[in-house]
Amino acid sequence: MGSAPQPAPDSRNARSMADAPNSRPAGDPQGEPSVNGSGSLEELRRLILAPEQEALERLQQRIEDPESRAEDVSGVVAEAIQRRREQGGSDALSDALAPTIETALRESVRKDPKTLASALFPVMGPAIRRSILETLRSFLDSFNQVLDQSLSWQGLKWRFEAIRTGRSFTEVALLHSLVFRVEQVFLIHKTTGLPIAHSVAPAVAIEDPSLVSGMLSAIQDFVRDSFHSEQGQTVNRMNVGDLEVWVETGPYAILAAVIRGVAPRTVRDQMAESLETLHAEYAEQFRCFSGDTAPFAEANKELSRCLGSKFKEEKQPRGYGYSLAAGIVLLALLGAWLGWRFSQYRRWSELSERLANQPGLTVTSFAREHGHFVIRGLRDPLASDPLKFVRDAGLDPSGVEFHWGSYYALDDFLVEQRARAVLAPPGNVVLTVKDGVLHVDGTPSAQWLNEVPARALLIPGVRVLDLGRWSPEQVAFDDARNKLEVTVIRFPLASSTFSAAGRSNLRNLLPSIEELLNPPVSLHRAVRVDIVGHSDSSGAEVSNQSLSQRRAERVLRELQQLGIATMRLHAQGVATADPVRAEDSEENRQYNRSVTFRVTEVPPGQP
Amino acid sequence: MIQKKICMLGSFAVGKTSLVRRFVESIFSETYHTTVGVKIDKKVIQIDGTEMTLVLWDLYGNDDFQKIRWSYFQGASGYLLVADGTRRATIDAAVALEERARREIGPVPFVLVMNKCDLIEDWEFDPELEARFAARSWTILRSSAKTGEGVEEAFSGLARKIAG
Repeated sequence: MGSAPQPAPDSRNARSMADAPNSRPAGDPQGEPSVNGSGSLEELRRLILAPEQEALERLQQRIEDPESRAEDVSGVVAEAIQRRREQGGSDALSDALAPTIETALRESVRKDPKTLASALFPVMGPAIRRSILETLRSFLDSFNQVLDQSLSWQGLKWRFEAIRTGRSFTEVALLHSLVFRVEQVFLIHKTTGLPIAHSVAPAVAIEDPSLVSGMLSAIQDFVRDSFHSEQGQTVNRMNVGDLEVWVETGPYAILAAVIRGVAPRTVRDQMAESLETLHAEYAEQFRCFSGDTAPFAEANKELSRCLGSKFKEEKQPRGYGYSLAAGIVLLALLGAWLGWRFSQYRRWSELSERLANQPGLTVTSFAREHGHFVIRGLRDPLASDPLKFVRDAGLDPSGVEFHWGSYYALDDFLVEQRARAVLAPPGNVVLTVKDGVLHVDGTPSAQWLNEVPARALLIPGVRVLDLGRWSPEQVAFDDARNKLEVTVIRFPLASSTFSAAGRSNLRNLLPSIEELLNPPVSLHRAVRVDIVGHSDSSGAEVSNQSLSQRRAERVLRELQQLGIATMRLHAQGVATADPVRAEDSEENRQYNRSVTFRVTEVPPGQP
Repeated sequence: MIQKKICMLGSFAVGKTSLVRRFVESIFSETYHTTVGVKIDKKVIQIDGTEMTLVLWDLYGNDDFQKIRWSYFQGASGYLLVADGTRRATIDAAVALEERARREIGPVPFVLVMNKCDLIEDWEFDPELEARFAARSWTILRSSAKTGEGVEEAFSGLARKIAG
């Protein structure tokens, strides 16, 4: 120590002198010389050496006192450590301090874990992040290899193999891309077979290390026993398919590496080196191993050095580009094919819809059979040709088969066509069908009209024939009206008495009047008949008015007498107001001494 | 982590394998017995709040215990000596096995497990025998692989002896 007292050459003397009193016989009173000569000498020595003696005593006291010694050491301990490190003895220093520091840390955690956690907090985050990054990087390296292969022809083969063997594509691709990979490393205690440490490559499935280590150890014993090999000799290589287990043996432990693929010799060199390092670092722990793996917590780092892998070189750097291009072309072709299929599908759908809406066509099934579209249903002979719709849709008619059954459609359009074909109307006749009713319009000949009623109702789809104004009832009604309106019942000069011819004419009119007053209900028609009395222009107008009125009433009365209901008959004298003819001759003048009829239609049902 | 290698010793058909089957983690099939001669299983137990992993070496053997591969026994921290309580011969064999084990690896903790205690009416393990074992300070536990009775106690009893 720097502050230690310098031992003077006299100290030996001082020591021997200091010892001197101890050599005195017991019972000799202290401080009193036994003889005069020696007493003086003692006195003299005490006088001369007293200060040094005291100093020595103080030093001795200080050395023996733990408190003062601790105080002395505390003043120099930092400098001492510093100096030792500068001298290059840091390993020995670390070895000496490590157990104390470990115990102190353990004690600190035991007392209050928060203190140490708080102190480590700033460094734990970055350390964890770094560890995760390393793991991810390692995993991504493997993944990139797999991705590079995934679009190639080989990749497709592997995908097929993955489907066939039930393994994942990643697993298959990794196995094919690998030259080798050290998947796991076990450090196993030689005597007990217990695992001391275990390190695993990322994404490797593992079994329980305790059981695997035990069994590896048992196999070593088994082989040794079975083949009577010498103690200390071990199985250093096991091989199953593309999996190998390499074993390196040390004095206390064995190192077993599980390797997939063909690993180079350097892996074994690394294993040997790691095993030696571990034996050097943990010699004592190995010797005292009793199943506690805590002292070997750091051994995994050394084991991890044995993990490693190598992937096959990419032979064609541009392969990925070609694969990508091929992929794009394939995708484009696939897209075009899908587009074409979609367009075809849409066209067929439209055709199906159009056929279903077509009069005279009833589609019952629309299916795809042995590469053709097969359409089944019913077809009216007058319906449009379905092939026309196929062509209109832009589809190939050879790709479709029709299977039609015949039937009569009741669509008005088709019934109308059928009626035209059967009745062959002349050009001035128009036939129309609405809701099963065949309407005839135009100016048909009487002969054609005669044939129509019998044939029209035999046409499928014609329920009712409507001849309109060409029905017999209508014609009879119109004929009666015409006949009545053109008839003139003449009277003698200045008389309201019938002549024989006049009475005869009136009687001839009776059927027509009956027809007009009582038409068939189906005609929905009714009339009022005005009996108009006339006179010629000779004589006074007043007497002519009276005469014309009497002539009209005479006819009315005559009709009444002949049994005609007169409810809708009205007698009216107009004198010369509405002459039948211009009185430009005597014959024409006679026509004005008469009675005529005027027919007016009224709403049916009115009195 | 504290791990201990434990062996299972006993005559043929005393129920060693049945004893552990329901109570351990295993990845190996029982054909290992007849091929390699040992099957290794694992059992994690708690001793006074501390976790201890027992790596069980279930040694295949028949009545002629010479066939047991004693090299598997090396490094064991203790063993379960299993006998069939209904067969006196297996109890005698257990005594012989204990002597042999002591010769192989020296004195290590063990527990004598008297199995098949569910068949107590056929029991051949009489008080006289029990007294003899007690005189030797042997720990004797009764178990039944069939009902599971005493199995956990056998493991924890041995683990306690090993832990000291």
